[in-house]
Amino acid sequence: MDWSVIATHLPFLMKGLWMSVKLATLVVIFAFPLACLIAVGRISSRSWIRYPSAIFVNTMRSNPLILIVFWFFFLVPIIIGRPVGDFASVMIGFIVFFSAYFTEIIRSGIQSVGRNQIQAGLSTGLTYFQTMRMIVLPQALRNMMPALITECVIVFQGTTIAYVVGLREFLNSTFLITEITLRPAELYTFAAIVYFVVCFAGSSLARQMEKRKVRT
Amino acid sequence: MSDPLVDIRDLSLWYEKFKALDNISTSFTAGKCVVICGPSGSGKSSLLRCVNRLEDFQEGDVYFEGQSLRECPNIASLRSNIGMVFQHFELYPHMTILDNITLAPRHAKGKSKADAEALALTLLERVDIVDQAHKHPAELSGGQQQRAAIARALALEPKLMLFDEPTSALDPEMIVEVLRAMRDLANDGMTMLVVTHEMGFAREVSDEIVFMDEGKIVERKETNDFFSNPHSKRAQDFLDRILMKI
Repeated sequence: MDWSVIATHLPFLMKGLWMSVKLATLVVIFAFPLACLIAVGRISSRSWIRYPSAIFVNTMRSNPLILIVFWFFFLVPIIIGRPVGDFASVMIGFIVFFSAYFTEIIRSGIQSVGRNQIQAGLSTGLTYFQTMRMIVLPQALRNMMPALITECVIVFQGTTIAYVVGLREFLNSTFLITEITLRPAELYTFAAIVYFVVCFAGSSLARQMEKRKVRT
Repeated sequence: MSDPLVDIRDLSLWYEKFKALDNISTSFTAGKCVVICGPSGSGKSSLLRCVNRLEDFQEGDVYFEGQSLRECPNIASLRSNIGMVFQHFELYPHMTILDNITLAPRHAKGKSKADAEALALTLLERVDIVDQAHKHPAELSGGQQQRAAIARALALEPKLMLFDEPTSALDPEMIVEVLRAMRDLANDGMTMLVVTHEMGFAREVSDEIVFMDEGKIVERKETNDFFSNPHSKRAQDFLDRILMKI
């Protein structure tokens, strides 16, 4: 074993890790608001809003991420008539794919707050919008926090898929270094430890929030 | 006779194909406490929820102080004059009791924070739980929660109070404290519509009884008259069963 390869190539690896973090963060930042809109569509009483939302969510959740990424990679340039770059097309694929999962988390969060809470708010003369903002959403957000953090961890792990279009995220960077150094054992162990630390920290945080949720 | 506070005319309500309320016409006068009773599924709660349009009825109309609910341009403002108490309290679990009570006065009625809090504390005093003001609902007993919910409804300074089976979710020893708060309220002259199975309360406190079955008002009488001399067979059967005459 020669662990010095890691120290030698650390700057390059860290650049890859930064790319992974950047991808995951941007995906969450864009997918979450999009998911909020679709979630409201999912629970709408109007069928012409509800059905398209449901079709979107079920289509995305019934396909592998890698297929969605490929699909957008080849489709987006056709639609807009020019290449958009690896990063942008991967981002779009990720955002669309993960927004479906976030949608379901948000929807169940809103539905976890009883209909009677809405009625209680309305009965006191608050408007529907006030009731949503001051009564339903604060409770919904607290209820869905653990699931949201868990999903963020999954997004971070999902960014590894970006290697299929040649994006140099963390795992792909590790792979490139093994090609040069022929030290796969050390490098992949290092990568596993890094992924473990990040993801375990995330899921611990989620567990912590789960406990707090039960207590209240 | 003065105009009724609530006037219900030809009211019908369907849930999908099921007709929950069948062409109901009746009215309620200010200052009276009326108990609505009847077997489960008879439409009592549905009728109550039509009075502040929490249920969207399909036919007929309800008038509150002469204002049609169907044509009301600002239903939220109308609802802010009607307090409602629910079976499962429906306090907001993420807020303190004080915040629960001041929310609507501040945001629906435009009261200042200081005024709303002063009012809330007076009301909590009245239902005897002023020491719980800064706790969250989950820290209170069921009876205390329901009294807090009554205070929340009273904070609207309502002209009418609706009670939807307010003691059905409570342990027996807690029912008394809630009924006592309701009795005091009735004695102070509050107009109340109460859906309940508590016949002791009905007999002692209410002025009138409305008996419903299958979405219709079967019988409406002054309280003493209803208990001593129920007119319809269905009301007799209901009373026998609920008072456990065998």
